[in-house]
Amino acid sequence: MSSEPIERRVSYLGDRLRGRRCQICGKEYFEIRDYCGKCGRKSFGKMGDIDLFYDKGKLEVCTFIDKPTNKFTKLGNYIYGIVSFHNGKIRVPGRLTDHIIKDNEEIDLSAFEGRNVVPRFRRRYSVGKSDVIPTISLAFTFADEYYPHQEYALMKPNKKYDAPGIVGYGVYTSKFRIRERNIERSVPFIDEDAITASVEAGKLALIHSGVNSSLVGKIYVGSESNPYAVKPIASKVAQVLKLGEEEGDMQGVDAVDTEFACKAATSMFKDAASLVSYPKSNIQYVMVIGADNSQAAPRDCPGGELDLFVGYGGCAYIFGKHDVIAEIEGWYSCTSDTPDFWRRDGEPYPMHGGRFTGDPAYFKHVRKAAKKLMDRLNLKVEDINYFVSHQPNVRFPVRVAKELGFKEEQYSPSLQVAKFGNTYSGSSPVGLAAALDIAKPDERILIVSYGSGAGSDAYSLITTNQILDKRERQKLTVKYQADNPFLEYVDYTTYRRLKLGM
Amino acid sequence: MTRKVKTMQSHPVIVGVGRTKFGEHYEKQPERLIEEAWLKASEGARIERKDLKACYLSDYFLPITNKLGLEEGFLSELTELHVPMEVTRSFSSALLNACNAIQARRYNMVLVGGIEKMTDRWDKIRDDLMLLEDPWSYYAGCTPEANHELMLRAYIKRYGITNEDLEKLNLALAQISVKNHLHATKNEYAQYQRKITVEHVLKARKNARKPLGLYDFAPISDGATALILANEESAKKLTDKPVHVLGASSATDYLTFPAREDMTRFVVSEIAMKNALKTAGINLWDIKIAEVYDQSTVMEMISLEDLGFCERGRAWAYIHESCKDYKGYYELNGRKLFVNMNGGLKADGNPLGATGGAEVFEVFKQLRGEAGERQVKNDGKLNYGCVLELEGFGTKGYVYILGRN
Repeated sequence: MSSEPIERRVSYLGDRLRGRRCQICGKEYFEIRDYCGKCGRKSFGKMGDIDLFYDKGKLEVCTFIDKPTNKFTKLGNYIYGIVSFHNGKIRVPGRLTDHIIKDNEEIDLSAFEGRNVVPRFRRRYSVGKSDVIPTISLAFTFADEYYPHQEYALMKPNKKYDAPGIVGYGVYTSKFRIRERNIERSVPFIDEDAITASVEAGKLALIHSGVNSSLVGKIYVGSESNPYAVKPIASKVAQVLKLGEEEGDMQGVDAVDTEFACKAATSMFKDAASLVSYPKSNIQYVMVIGADNSQAAPRDCPGGELDLFVGYGGCAYIFGKHDVIAEIEGWYSCTSDTPDFWRRDGEPYPMHGGRFTGDPAYFKHVRKAAKKLMDRLNLKVEDINYFVSHQPNVRFPVRVAKELGFKEEQYSPSLQVAKFGNTYSGSSPVGLAAALDIAKPDERILIVSYGSGAGSDAYSLITTNQILDKRERQKLTVKYQADNPFLEYVDYTTYRRLKLGM
Repeated sequence: MTRKVKTMQSHPVIVGVGRTKFGEHYEKQPERLIEEAWLKASEGARIERKDLKACYLSDYFLPITNKLGLEEGFLSELTELHVPMEVTRSFSSALLNACNAIQARRYNMVLVGGIEKMTDRWDKIRDDLMLLEDPWSYYAGCTPEANHELMLRAYIKRYGITNEDLEKLNLALAQISVKNHLHATKNEYAQYQRKITVEHVLKARKNARKPLGLYDFAPISDGATALILANEESAKKLTDKPVHVLGASSATDYLTFPAREDMTRFVVSEIAMKNALKTAGINLWDIKIAEVYDQSTVMEMISLEDLGFCERGRAWAYIHESCKDYKGYYELNGRKLFVNMNGGLKADGNPLGATGGAEVFEVFKQLRGEAGERQVKNDGKLNYGCVLELEGFGTKGYVYILGRN
């Protein structure tokens, strides 16, 4: 059993690494201190809020943990140490994450010490299946490896658009991969899940957009692998990323999770766009995240065929009307009650009948949505620069693109399934991000998602001049994460263990 | 008109000590352990239970580890006493309260006891220890061993110890463990009464792939210790070999180890020692025997520096030299210091709430010349000894200076 109040307090401080700085002497504390120990009573009311969430730290000293305490045993062994921030003004304990130490590996602690590290939002340790999931950002990775340190520099909005659109986006996948049958798939580290991927993606979207997080008025998180049946991911994202106006320990933001298999996120794009356009909503920006630790039964079990394709990752979009990088030209959605893929409450893995998978499900809906939208907007195939569709495997998106008449140069840039696997709710959003990563101004992107159950959302987007300016703000592009020298490949057993989590 | 207060130098006196063997006592109720210790102490002091005017008991987390009720209650049942009883978390804190009460002339004779029974909770004890020691570090993945290793890493960096010197330092730490095990072979109460070699220590480190290994750390133990503390008048009637508590002091530091200003020392030891020396009115080098709190070999090394017996950043060099051809003591700046004659926490055992009692037990026996085989061979008379006990990972530090005159 865990204690909810303790959990709330520890994660409130630890997820964001909140602290205070004495405005008299400059002493910093990792925790919310009402007064400074050095300055005493005169410092009451003179303590300023700080947090280390976007900061770069330095691993001062470290050691190897070969026998963790009980709650950490699922991590196996790991490097643990002390991380300093702000030139040593503040020091916190920390665990090195995303780092697998092999059984026969020699450990040279001095090779780790002195290097810059980035705080990462992760699960804290293992608890019982019915307990609140503890989280913390006292987990770190090296800034000179897969996940570089990026500053969160706010951008003053300078251009207002008539139509709403994408203001910024972020894609997050882990550094672990499994390589089988010519495709690579991203694998979460053992302390990752759909919640941590959502926060990471949201963080990267804020960094890319330069939007002040307090101006985000609504957050949608679409996922089908939320580790909770009841308890939103969106509330965690809102709290950690400080979305909306901070009011004491609450955030002035509307947060909600959505579910419609793999279209849970794309479905909300139009809601986000509508909200920022509605004059009385008072909402400047809306964040939509699609993230999944895509579930699949083990290979030899019913539903196990999915195990060849599932990936891990999240993708976040911020919608608004200022400094837009891609305007929304139009959309179309269609739905039918087609049971092609489902997961019953309490079951760990989805089922996949097989009867409806292809034609009556995926192809029918994607084709319909794409054609309808193109008709409505009077678009021909050649008017579209990039075609993006949901990517459950390598064959489907190619076949549907060809059927619609698209050429390879139109659909291949967005094909990411062979790099990350099927990231479920994040699948077509990652494909869109790959297109946005390389698109020039005034290009048209058609994205068609697909969610089992079943339905599709099609959007037409037109890029603006500002896409180029903002591109420099993001190091963690889709390509960067797909072809990275720090990727680590794991075998099938490790992949299952990591995916199952701690 | 100012009122003149006559200050008479009156030190609390230890008149008897008792302890159990440390180790695993799965067959015994915790009550049996404290009973054994306090009966031995009373026997040594030749007192009856009705002479006790108060009891100060310590345990670090006995009610958690053993699912016990209020410790005062079972002590009352054991002693059939209804006197005031207080429970604190370390033997030293109990002793400090007892000293204060005796000096305030509140009571003339009290019992100080310490107990812990850790092996009953073998499976969860490291989580418990870590949560009490430093919760934020625990949340980040720390273990009870890791902070010692981080302290060592910080020490090596601070003093720029490299190459040959680093090798010597690592050897010196191993030698500390070997020396403590050697001392414990002469201690009938010790948990591990067997010799080990430097190779054992180094091999354990190599297997663990860490700076410190199994033989660098004190074990998990069960055990109890007790002593009878009296004021001078009462002590005179009981013994002609009194051991006085000449100096007693404690200090406190942050809970979170990484947040402390200096990660290469325990500031609590330094402060407590300074104050204890001041109250005792003796010089540092009047002390010939020291029982230090070696939860790890690193702690013993750093404690020598914290207490002022050698300069900062050099303790390892003296230890290494002294242990090349070990004569039973460390030679620090040309002076002898007998350290952890009972085997230290490493070999004697470390039942947290009782540990400080074993340290005091040792100095008491040595000062009275009653340590048997372990009796140190000093050139002159052995007049003063000191005890350092830490609580948590250096969150609290207690120093006692004990003397025969």
